[in-house]
Amino acid sequence: MDDLLADFVAETREMLQAIEGEIVAWEADPADRERLDAIFRFVHTVKGNCGFFDFPRLEKLSHAAESALSEVRAGQRRASGQLVSAVLAIIDRINDMIDAIDGGETIPDGADEILIAALEPKGDEPDSESIQAEELSGGRAPRQASGSRSIRLPVELLDRVMSGVSDMVLARNELARRLREHGTDPALEGPFDRLSSILDTVREGATRMRMQRLEHLFGALPRMVRDLSAELGKQVMIDLDGGDVELDREMIESVRDPLTHILRNAIDHGIEPPSERLSAGKREIGTITVSARRTGNRIVIAVSDDGRGIEPGRLRKKAVAAGLIDSAQAAALSEEQTLELIFAAGFSTADRVSQVSGRGVGMDVVRANIERIGGSVTVSSKAGQGTIVFLYVPLTLSIVEGLTVTVGAHTLGLPRSYIVEIARSASRAISVDRLGDGIFLTFRNERVPCLDLGEVLGLDQGVDLDRATFVFIRLVSGDLFAVAVDRVLDNEDLVLKPLPPVLEGIGLFGGTALLDDGRPILKLDIPALADRYGLASQARARPSVQGAADIHAEDPGEHVVVFEAFGSRRLAIRMPAIRHIHTLPASAIDRSGPTPLVSVDGMILPILGFILDDEDATSTRDSVIALRLSDGGSDILYAARSIIDTAELTGPVVPAEDDPLLEGTVLIDDTIVGAIDTHRLFARYGRMGASTHRPTCRLARTDAWAKGFLEPLIRSAGYDILDEDDPRTADVAVVLDQAEPAATTGDVVRLRSYPDAAGTAPDSIYRYDRDALLSALARAHSKGG
Amino acid sequence: MNDLMLLTRIANRPAVFRASDIASIIEIDAITPVPQAPDFVAGLTALRSRALTVIDSRMALGLAQPGPADPRSPVVEIGGHPYALLVDTVEDVVAMVGAPTPLAATLGPQWSRCAHGMIETAAGPAIVIDVSALISGPQRAAA
Repeated sequence: MDDLLADFVAETREMLQAIEGEIVAWEADPADRERLDAIFRFVHTVKGNCGFFDFPRLEKLSHAAESALSEVRAGQRRASGQLVSAVLAIIDRINDMIDAIDGGETIPDGADEILIAALEPKGDEPDSESIQAEELSGGRAPRQASGSRSIRLPVELLDRVMSGVSDMVLARNELARRLREHGTDPALEGPFDRLSSILDTVREGATRMRMQRLEHLFGALPRMVRDLSAELGKQVMIDLDGGDVELDREMIESVRDPLTHILRNAIDHGIEPPSERLSAGKREIGTITVSARRTGNRIVIAVSDDGRGIEPGRLRKKAVAAGLIDSAQAAALSEEQTLELIFAAGFSTADRVSQVSGRGVGMDVVRANIERIGGSVTVSSKAGQGTIVFLYVPLTLSIVEGLTVTVGAHTLGLPRSYIVEIARSASRAISVDRLGDGIFLTFRNERVPCLDLGEVLGLDQGVDLDRATFVFIRLVSGDLFAVAVDRVLDNEDLVLKPLPPVLEGIGLFGGTALLDDGRPILKLDIPALADRYGLASQARARPSVQGAADIHAEDPGEHVVVFEAFGSRRLAIRMPAIRHIHTLPASAIDRSGPTPLVSVDGMILPILGFILDDEDATSTRDSVIALRLSDGGSDILYAARSIIDTAELTGPVVPAEDDPLLEGTVLIDDTIVGAIDTHRLFARYGRMGASTHRPTCRLARTDAWAKGFLEPLIRSAGYDILDEDDPRTADVAVVLDQAEPAATTGDVVRLRSYPDAAGTAPDSIYRYDRDALLSALARAHSKGG
Repeated sequence: MNDLMLLTRIANRPAVFRASDIASIIEIDAITPVPQAPDFVAGLTALRSRALTVIDSRMALGLAQPGPADPRSPVVEIGGHPYALLVDTVEDVVAMVGAPTPLAATLGPQWSRCAHGMIETAAGPAIVIDVSALISGPQRAAA
């Protein structure tokens, strides 16, 4: 096809996509001149372009639509539902013709005349006078024109750039390895680092090129909702939010079908007919909201409707009737688990099969499709009020966080998102049983089926279970199983490429990726694996009642973090108490009080674990590792010289006498480790870390800088602010430069405007020295509270 | 048809690829085997940032015990996926002499399935390989 024609097809398609939403919005508000103009421009452009090519039918159709619309624009005619439908039909036909032109086919012969005739005004249309009356009622503000510029590029070119960038990254990694091997030359190191960081930026940019705004997907939805609700005799409005969220192009395509299916469900089963809505005290018009937002590495797309919702009792009955579960199981299901039933294969909530849905091809297919791209689906519903379906999808199809493992001579990638835990068989917490041909692990009172990856891959030799590492995998359905591998290598970002058909046919792998050293590896397809070995099938129909009970039965104290404390002692703290591990600048620690204090995230917290006469503790270090413990109400930090590992508490804790804060000692990896008694720790210091008592700080809020810059910082440090003329007593006063505090009570913290103290105010703190300021506040806090 | 051909030997028989089918020729240094793959898939290898599926042409033609393969390997792209083909030897790029002739009936089913026809080249007659038939592997017994 010649370039000009290709451009015509691409441009027309792009415009089509853009105006689909406009036309439905225009129908809802025919007085919306802007939308009318957009649609008019489209048919006008198509007509104009047809002049270059020989497409008489296309020209005739677009001309007819243009004339009808120009009458509306001239105020001679009103945009009725009938006119909108006729214009839509013409646009559909234009779309078909463009497809035919693109495919090099002859344009299918059709009754264009009927379409054109449908544009003719009918007798019952309101006359022009009513339009004029409406036009007088007020114009609307013109919408903001989009400011960003864009050009159209062939996808193939983008892909070439992407793979070029990937090549560069591999070459960079190779070069980095060589540089390391030859010892670092500072003359090379600088430029290399710079190159490296530029490359990272370029890579990020190249990845973004594949991203598309969700608008492309959303654009088609209003039209679909309009057509479908009209077909079903319902009134539905769609509200779209988050169209500016960006998603990988391929991912958008993968989400299209599931999203369409969910919308159809919502309109067909969810939204009630208008009469039913009115009698339920709702608005006649149902609303469906589709919203998207990005959270970390995932996109959440929520589809909510204000329809009749899902009634758990009815759902249970239907599931029992369908033979999915028996009535005893049904009775044991929680509400949440009941809702999960809609994902069971072949299950339909519809009372009868309609043309649109309820044919048994349902949410199970939606879930399978979303899981295939590494996402998940959940649903929540309130009977009578509506239903929300959440789709969680990864940002991009092509990069997944992976764990590399070896089995025999093979290296494989496992997607991180499924992995819940990794344990070595040497650990006494795991016992391995062979039952029949299967392997079962007993791990934390749970019996977990295990696959020998060597057997799965058909290798001559299976994994040696006495030396194996077990990777525990939790499926989206909640089922837990383990795979035994020889070794776990590393975490890597896997840039996945699709498999050729011959390898896809094996049914075990989900893509290929290259390791940093350029070796190709395969990614294991976890859902396919679980399917093949029947590890997930049962849970699909029977939500994991058993599994949920087991999780709660787990002893939460089994895991500990082992670290080297100051004073060279090895200590362990139970995992559940640890909220975060911070690395803090040593200068932020205030050691003037009996208990050292430090500011973290704007809070002032006690930090324990320093041996006060240990010189090493703060003076010779720039930073200190601090374990942040939390009992839910207050936080305490515990200082560590280094973190050693996480471990399981396998043996008994032997009570210790010497330290009241130790629960006892325990043997971990043949070393004696002190187990910290977090209960006593919080009993003693917890109050200090609590934010219940808010100290006060006096501040001259008349000063703009104090109000704008200082106040938020002091507030976030846990202080309440008192004005200059507030009669109450403040714990501390912060003053600027030479100003005098109004009524001094507690400490005075003096800030200076210039970095250099230069004799004027030797005890003052430079006003942008955040750490020093927070330490000063911490000092005041420890005296006051 | 324009008319440069890559002359190779597959299972000790002359076979040519249309130059337009060949994306590049690479030197394979390591092949990562793929567990559970059909035996004509030798494994994966890397070409810059891409993983190539390595197809042993000899086994794809249903020949059980191939000898050593040429480290140089023609790369083809079918259906968006790149494949590297193992052949006995990569010999030369030759020009086609005259038009292709239809297949003789005596080639045997596997060769017939993977051939576009026969041609004369400067180096003698050869079979023109149909690459997409080749990478789909030997046909099962029913053929």
